[in-house]
Amino acid sequence: MMSDRKAELERKKAKLQAIREEKERRRKEKEQKDVEEARIRAASTNTDQQREVDALLSSLGVAPVSEVLSSLSSANSLATPEQSITATPDVSLQPSSLSSAHSAPKKRNRELTIVSVAHTNIPPKEPVVYTKQTQTAQTVVHANHDGLSASSSTYTMSSCSTTTPTHYCSAGYFETDWWRPRKAHAFDYYDEYNLNPGLEWEDEFTVLTYDDGQAEDEENSLPHMDGFQSKLPPGILPHGLPQVKEVQPAVTQEEKQKEQEKLKEVRELSEEEKQMLMISEEFKRFIDRSSRIVERALAESVNIYTDYTGTMDGEDGMDDKSHQCLWLNRQFFDERWSRNRCVTAIDWSPQFPELLVASYNNNDDTPHDPDGVCLVWNTKFKKSTPEFIFHCQSPVMSTTFARFHPNLILGGTYSGQVVLWDNRVQKRVPIQRTPLSAAAHTHPVYCLQVVGTQNAHNLISVSTDGKLCSWSLDMLSQPQEMLELQNKQSKQIAVTQLAFPHGDVNNFVVGSEDGTVYSACRHGTRAGVTEMYEGHMGPITGVDAHAVPGGIDFSHLFLSSSVDWTIKLWSMKENKPLYSFEHNSDYVYDVAWSPSHPAVFAAVDDSGKLDLWNLNQDTEIPAASITIDGSPALNRVSWSSNGMHITVGDDSGKIWVYDVAEHIVHPRMDEWDKFLFCQQEFKNNKADEEFDKLNISSGPPSLSSMTSLPSAR
Amino acid sequence: MESFDIKMAQEVEETMKRIQSHRGVIGTIVVNSEGIPIKSTMDNATTIQYAGLISQLSDKARSIIRDLDPTNDLTFLRLRSKKHEIMVAPDKEFILIVVQNPID
Repeated sequence: MMSDRKAELERKKAKLQAIREEKERRRKEKEQKDVEEARIRAASTNTDQQREVDALLSSLGVAPVSEVLSSLSSANSLATPEQSITATPDVSLQPSSLSSAHSAPKKRNRELTIVSVAHTNIPPKEPVVYTKQTQTAQTVVHANHDGLSASSSTYTMSSCSTTTPTHYCSAGYFETDWWRPRKAHAFDYYDEYNLNPGLEWEDEFTVLTYDDGQAEDEENSLPHMDGFQSKLPPGILPHGLPQVKEVQPAVTQEEKQKEQEKLKEVRELSEEEKQMLMISEEFKRFIDRSSRIVERALAESVNIYTDYTGTMDGEDGMDDKSHQCLWLNRQFFDERWSRNRCVTAIDWSPQFPELLVASYNNNDDTPHDPDGVCLVWNTKFKKSTPEFIFHCQSPVMSTTFARFHPNLILGGTYSGQVVLWDNRVQKRVPIQRTPLSAAAHTHPVYCLQVVGTQNAHNLISVSTDGKLCSWSLDMLSQPQEMLELQNKQSKQIAVTQLAFPHGDVNNFVVGSEDGTVYSACRHGTRAGVTEMYEGHMGPITGVDAHAVPGGIDFSHLFLSSSVDWTIKLWSMKENKPLYSFEHNSDYVYDVAWSPSHPAVFAAVDDSGKLDLWNLNQDTEIPAASITIDGSPALNRVSWSSNGMHITVGDDSGKIWVYDVAEHIVHPRMDEWDKFLFCQQEFKNNKADEEFDKLNISSGPPSLSSMTSLPSAR
Repeated sequence: MESFDIKMAQEVEETMKRIQSHRGVIGTIVVNSEGIPIKSTMDNATTIQYAGLISQLSDKARSIIRDLDPTNDLTFLRLRSKKHEIMVAPDKEFILIVVQNPID
């Protein structure tokens, strides 16, 4: 490549040389011709005539012809060497000679004669330099050119300078002092020019037209250009050369930034300033929000770097799970807010199925902490702390999410107040509470439920004096309705539990301390207690109505648990229990139907046992039974709304979350039919039993001896 | 009002303690919008270093998010490195930085 270029330059050089020589030759010829002509003229006239003329001229005061002729020839001979100096390449290497040539004012005289050869390409080369600069001006990259390009450019420069007048110019340009800092760029122009022969010649020509006006003569143009260039102040180059400037601002900015950062780091807030910041509402909100996120993120134990191509060392025993119905998922416990507090109620958020609210009784060990606590836990994120903490002065005996109001949580207290918390405000205390007056509850509110639809819903609360109030959430200052639940002897029913059948807002069942379950309705002429279901021998601890929708309606079924160690299955249509589950050997504290499987329910007892019953499978023993570590008294059991989790609350503030097996979460369709059959069997058995009883009392002795076994049971 | 403020400060303290007590957490820093640490559980030098660098990063990340979509905003930033995981929860006025060992 380089050698090609060299050769090309060499060729051009030679051509130029030839042109110049040709020019020179023609000029000399012409000059000689002039002198010849003059001589011939002089010679042709005889001396007499000459003398005559001389005499005439001298009379007029003009120099004689011979003198003029001699002076003319001398002028010509004087000019020739001058011209040769500029034209000959050997001599032109010295720039000093240029300036001397330039200083000779004589040369202008001959411009006109040389115009004929002005078509030579020499002046245009100068513009190349010029335009080169403008083109490279945009590319800062040149500053970063490595040694290779620099060296190659030096080469091209030196090679050029030996030949064309253009490069005198560049040579002059380089000789001035100010180019030094920009050496790399200056070289690069030439470099790029030489490497890029396709540059527009024409354009460059036009750019330089203003110069051309003064420098028509190629001989004159060179020195003139030199003078033009050297006259420029160092900072100004034709067409904004300075790339260096482009880089500079960026650097300074960066430095400035760094400096600022340094300043930032240095500055430190005083303790007071920090305190002031920390007290601000803004800060509180920030901490509340961001800590929530960070805690969730921290609790996330998903290993995103799991490498499935690697060795499987930690394979969990999937096999032993396949036969299980329940696995412990996690535990909810807060050292400060739930320790030693009995879990009194659990409810799930309808809007956010992963959220559960649990209410807690007082903690005797911490008399200074609020008696009533309500915590919202998140089953989705593995963070171990409650999502929200609420408390109030009286122990909270029941709690529920305010359906249709995702931010509101309700609590029924021991004092009889119903309290309302809002998780949007940065407050842990209730934002509203019902009055403590005869118009509302004055006894502990053990039951709390929101029933109805989005547009027409009520909060139902029942206290242990049998008073039922229905409230509008917009106005907790007084109940919309009040109903006294009384038994046949007009005695107040000490209500412990409340359950609405699925989809019903009018009829409901309540469990009482006297061991009887009552059904009642809120509206109509017979508002109040409608039926009573006697069978339990001790206070009712839990009541739950069947809640699984499906092809067959089981909403008349409900379960009750009691301290008499039994769980009973009832139909609202009958006063006698359909079945009694007598598997437990301790107080049964709570019972809950599965929300997804029609024949499954869960029950907890005082001995720390969680039983999962599947009536389609077995009615004598539970399908799964787990004794929780430490055998704490389990007070509450609750299913998540999708039936995938069972939560169990004990008397010391712990809540366990269990995962439920797939076949229970998603039952087959024939489970409903099976359960209907099962229910029929219960009825048949009951009829048989009664028939047997009748036989015992009235039948022959032989028969009674045959049936003695079942009746003794 | 005074007691309310104290209560709030207590709650903040409580929250910080809770995060710090989380398994694997090395340090928790709260930084204001200028990159000045307000609260920290790490030593002074480390805190200042983290505060300065993370707030810069967070600013840059936010500007990137906003450049990509002006209606968008940065909400959380997690940096996984060989040794640590740095979680950054930026807010309008403050930034919460948590450094943890991600080893489970």
